[in-house]
Amino acid sequence: MKHRDRVLMALNHETPDRCPLQISFTPEFASRLKAEMNMGGSALHNPHGGGNTYELERALDEDLLLTSVGWANSYYQDADSYIDEWGIGWRSAPYDTPYGVGRYTEMVQHPLADDRTIDSYQPPDPNRPELYHEAEWVIRTFKDEYWIVGVTVTTMFECAWALRGYERMLSDFALNPDLAERLLDIPYHYHLTAARRLTQMGVDMIWIGDDVGAQHSMIISPKMWRKFLKPRMANFIAELKAINPDVKVAYHSDGNIYPIIPDLIEIGLDVLNPIQPASMDPIKLKHDYGDKLCFWGSLDEQHTLPFGTAADVEAEVRTRLTTLGKHGGLILGPTHHVQLDTPLENFWAMVHTITQTPYASL
Amino acid sequence: MEPIINEIYTSVMEGEADAVKEKVQAALDAGLAAPVILNEGMIAAMGEVGRLFEEGEYFVPEMLIAARAMQAGLALLKPYLKEADVQSAGKVVIGTVKGDLHDIGKNLVAMMLEGAGFEIIDLGTDVAPEKFVEATRTHGAHIVALSALLTTTMPSMKATIEALIAAGLREHVKVMIGGAPITQEYASQIGADGFSPDASRAVATAKSLI
Repeated sequence: MKHRDRVLMALNHETPDRCPLQISFTPEFASRLKAEMNMGGSALHNPHGGGNTYELERALDEDLLLTSVGWANSYYQDADSYIDEWGIGWRSAPYDTPYGVGRYTEMVQHPLADDRTIDSYQPPDPNRPELYHEAEWVIRTFKDEYWIVGVTVTTMFECAWALRGYERMLSDFALNPDLAERLLDIPYHYHLTAARRLTQMGVDMIWIGDDVGAQHSMIISPKMWRKFLKPRMANFIAELKAINPDVKVAYHSDGNIYPIIPDLIEIGLDVLNPIQPASMDPIKLKHDYGDKLCFWGSLDEQHTLPFGTAADVEAEVRTRLTTLGKHGGLILGPTHHVQLDTPLENFWAMVHTITQTPYASL
Repeated sequence: MEPIINEIYTSVMEGEADAVKEKVQAALDAGLAAPVILNEGMIAAMGEVGRLFEEGEYFVPEMLIAARAMQAGLALLKPYLKEADVQSAGKVVIGTVKGDLHDIGKNLVAMMLEGAGFEIIDLGTDVAPEKFVEATRTHGAHIVALSALLTTTMPSMKATIEALIAAGLREHVKVMIGGAPITQEYASQIGADGFSPDASRAVATAKSLI
């Protein structure tokens, strides 16, 4: 079965030969994997995680190939401190794992921290042709075989908080709503332009994202989400579907976002990612929304993959296939880029259990 | 209760920093005792903020602006509290552990603990075990609070506890930990005294450790 047909069947709530697979890595984990697989280097591609190469993804028998345009590409640009093209300052700190030293980049300077800078701020231009060269190549080269995803994550809220600073942005929601609206509009327009163009170019799915969930509850109230983010998301999805009614839209938010899932379905969302099992119960999700929504992710990157055994990983994959992925509707993968602390035997247990478990055998 | 104390309480709850400052000043001018303003106006309000957060009525923005409003009032009160020799609920050295630059959760915990009357020594992010040791010794901390968002930096929590043991401080200080991937099981495994799943419950955890 072609990779793209496998994904399309799953997203149509049908059961393909096996569950589709998508995995991304941190750069350090990808290096380990390339050494293990004796693979040469090649140009990395984003989104953040920055460790993915199309060779690696295809060698692992992944079914989706991603190409990203937007602020999320600012992650992992350099090991040292840097300022990205949005004017946001970054730095990273090294961490030690049993498998070597890794780094995690994090925003530390916010160009719109001062209210007076907001009106004169000029975001980067989303119409630069070079931003879309990778997407053109990926679509031309791989679309016949693979499901191509145009990535515009950190679509509004996360990019706005990086521009403004997290605490200021959240305070603005509560104390200065007009300012919050203006801040959200900056990344919203940028990423909508990019997503429209990627859709026109022929990607199969657009992946948007903004973390509005913490581990156990939402970061902002459902009411606040409905005021600030839902209308923009609704319009975003509608504009893409107007260009191509068949394009699918996936949305990423970490954590628990249970209260807004009916809203997401209402505004036309097709796929929810990443389904952290410690935050939202996959069985309940399937029961409540499985007929209206597909799921992507769900393999626990907080406990099972780094700290479990290979048998734990295999068991978790099998559980998902018979619950969240029952009758299709699921793309399996880790809930985050595979981190450097993950044992390779756990990684291979994940990949092999997914690729070698036909739905018909369950 | 004095009406002005009620007004301070309400202004903290609603995150109105300017109103809190104005009313705390008015209360001081009216001769109200600083500890009364602190305990009955501000700490009581932050307790209610925590309760509403746990019940899912308040979220991070509401908690954040309430904490900022409280801090604005506290800045005015501090000289008076010092004069009255008011003791804090305890000294807490807090930071995000080595290798981890995430500070959102750590900052919220610090704010809520401050709102409950604790004195906070915030060491920031990417804090090495020896920095925690040094600050614990220098400030005579009662609690060391460690935060981590990444699974890859969770081992730094264990390393920090080991550094406190090596420095001979472990018996004199309690250790509490938190962060998205952290569980009670992990806290027990590395020998931490307390764990909290969120910023509000961190207050109850800290109080139980003192």
